[in-house]
Amino acid sequence: MKLKSACGLILCFLAALTGCAGPIEETVTGGTPAALRTFQPINPDAAVFWDRQTTETRQLLLQLADEFNRLHPDLPIKVEHSGGYTEINRKVAASIQAGALPSMAVAYESMTAEYVQAGAVAALDEFTRDPQRGLSAADLADFFPAVLETNRYSEFEGKMYSFPFCKSALMMYFNKRVLADAGFSQPPNTWDEFLEQCRQVKEKTGKFACALNVDCSTVDGMIYSMGGELVKDHATLFDSLEAMRVFELIETLVREKLAYQITRDSYDDESALAQDQIAFLFRSSSGRTSIARLMQGDMQRWGMTRIPQADPADPRTVLYGPNIVIFNTTPDQQRAAWEFVKFFTSPEIGVRWALGTGYIPIRRSAAQHPDVQAFWNEWEYNRAAFDCLAFARSEPNFAGWQEVRELVHDAETAILTGMKNARAAATELKQAADQVLSARHARSTR
Amino acid sequence: MDEVLERTRSRAVRDGAIAAVLLAPSLAVLGVFGITPILGAVYLSLFDTHFGAGPFVGVGNYAKALTEEDFWKSFLVTFYYSVGTIPVGLVLSFAVALALFRILRARGLFRTMYFLPYVTSAVAAATVWRVLLHPQIGLTNLVLQWLGADPMQWLLEPRGVLYFLTDGRIPPTIGPSLSLCCVMLFDIWHASGFMIVIFLAGLTALPRQLEEAARIDGAGGAQVVWNVTLPLLSPTIFFLTVVSAIRSFQAFNSFFALTGDGRGPLNTTRNLTVYIYSSFYQFGYEGYGAALAALSSLAIVTMTIVQWRFAGRRVFYE
Repeated sequence: MKLKSACGLILCFLAALTGCAGPIEETVTGGTPAALRTFQPINPDAAVFWDRQTTETRQLLLQLADEFNRLHPDLPIKVEHSGGYTEINRKVAASIQAGALPSMAVAYESMTAEYVQAGAVAALDEFTRDPQRGLSAADLADFFPAVLETNRYSEFEGKMYSFPFCKSALMMYFNKRVLADAGFSQPPNTWDEFLEQCRQVKEKTGKFACALNVDCSTVDGMIYSMGGELVKDHATLFDSLEAMRVFELIETLVREKLAYQITRDSYDDESALAQDQIAFLFRSSSGRTSIARLMQGDMQRWGMTRIPQADPADPRTVLYGPNIVIFNTTPDQQRAAWEFVKFFTSPEIGVRWALGTGYIPIRRSAAQHPDVQAFWNEWEYNRAAFDCLAFARSEPNFAGWQEVRELVHDAETAILTGMKNARAAATELKQAADQVLSARHARSTR
Repeated sequence: MDEVLERTRSRAVRDGAIAAVLLAPSLAVLGVFGITPILGAVYLSLFDTHFGAGPFVGVGNYAKALTEEDFWKSFLVTFYYSVGTIPVGLVLSFAVALALFRILRARGLFRTMYFLPYVTSAVAAATVWRVLLHPQIGLTNLVLQWLGADPMQWLLEPRGVLYFLTDGRIPPTIGPSLSLCCVMLFDIWHASGFMIVIFLAGLTALPRQLEEAARIDGAGGAQVVWNVTLPLLSPTIFFLTVVSAIRSFQAFNSFFALTGDGRGPLNTTRNLTVYIYSSFYQFGYEGYGAALAALSSLAIVTMTIVQWRFAGRRVFYE
């Protein structure tokens, strides 16, 4: 083929692509889940559960699955470690496309909303209300409202599409030794105190005060703690006064060399805290176990507390932790999955899980259990995450938020690297996020 | 005469049948694992699927890609990567191959050493590089600080390398980011073993008498390399250029392993392959991802045809 002909063909093809294309018709979902689809189970002989737990918590989960399987021999549960939450989300996306899914998986609310829109997730209301296999009113009342409510999706008629699994809260970890060197005996209560302590740490020790993990949930928690909101009527509030204060705080921390950014997906901040290189870090309360290990059991050297607040009398933080979703596979698989969910969230198992992992008990009866109370008394900060449950709030649980998370990530990176100032980053973030949400909203109501 | 023709024809039929039988397994494998997925991807690209469901949109996904800023940004990253890795990789590999070809002592040892990066898993090697380029504990920053320079953010740095080289006179958004340059450097190092081996094979096959004749005529070492060795090596150089160009459009492992998600700081390392991956898996836009993959394949085919037509003419075949 002559070159001219080849180029001509390619140009014709490109012209055809751009010229003949009509507007993309959006998926018909009508604000409700797409028509429910049934998926092949990836393992017909076991109810597979895609999870992310590692180390000791994984061992405990496997042990609990074994105990469950002994009690329910019909269809065994098989826990499969499938990477982190992001990897599990990618696997589920590919599996939905392939038409085969596990029985259940861990998922954050924004991920679940995507699965619901694809018609891949079973509504759990019929399971919870089932007279034989459901949960009694007393059982449901035993769950803390905050952990249950986040699993109801207002976008999808308020139905429950996921069930609480592991719950934690955004916390501030602090190194007492570094703080003492800077002349402080207590961690900060407010963001103003926080900034002042950071400056003193830098001045008196020469160290960075804080290591920042670029993370949307952390930014969201900080906005909450400033008294702000994230969304209103499907429009984001990233240009609000409270959000702006957060971005300006991050900008100040970097400009004054009080904080540095850690490598993505690393836990360098935890190592730095354990090595007395920084005074503060912000992480989920579930990080308590790994930090304790890094501190080699020296519990007097560090502590964890709620994140600083704009108004300590009206505290707020973000509620972390995944839920379980049950996919639309076969009735047998769904039944086994639901039985496991019930088993796992029972008060007895809840106590063992909380003690073994540091996650917050999600039921009142588990929280009141003597063993949990004793655990909280063991170390003055053991109860800190649980105390946040009263005011911790989840992030938005509607479709499109996953994409917004990446935009928040980019805005924070732009500020940390000096590519944009706080005001420009916040304004552009608001525009981009609103564009994403309105496109997704249009898609779901078309 | 008819009998001869008939015999020839029947032999041709028999040979054809045998060839078909012998080719069948390969064709079956190619059909199932090569052609079918390609056709499947093209078919998928005609639907606006999101998490597995969506309506037929014809070439709507292609039009969307070609008019979307993100696509062209990814294309630019891919272009930077190709331009940054192929010429540098070729020159360095040729220089090393020439040195290895001429040294007499411990030749095998050196050849093994230079080939080692290529046989090392890209992910394992990238993990080591991540530590070397770590902003707080990495060796590179320790050396910089020892030399009295400020530490760099390396893989976390979205600002352009030209910004740093010109001391801020060029805006930070111009040119490849420092993060992308780190990925390029890694890939040059990682792929050089393959290029060196191919260059060595090419050098070994060259007729010595031409170089000797040039030397007798008074040509210096550099002149011999420039006027004799390089023209004779042109088929090897052409082969490596074509292969490297194709691979540069397919690069993924190093991007993903070095930056954690492939996108890098502010998407400055998001090449076409990473863009396809994130569209498809991270955000669940399968139809759009498939269209991007088809466009990427089209770009590779176009580039290869252009290379064959323009550079192919300058290749000297003995």
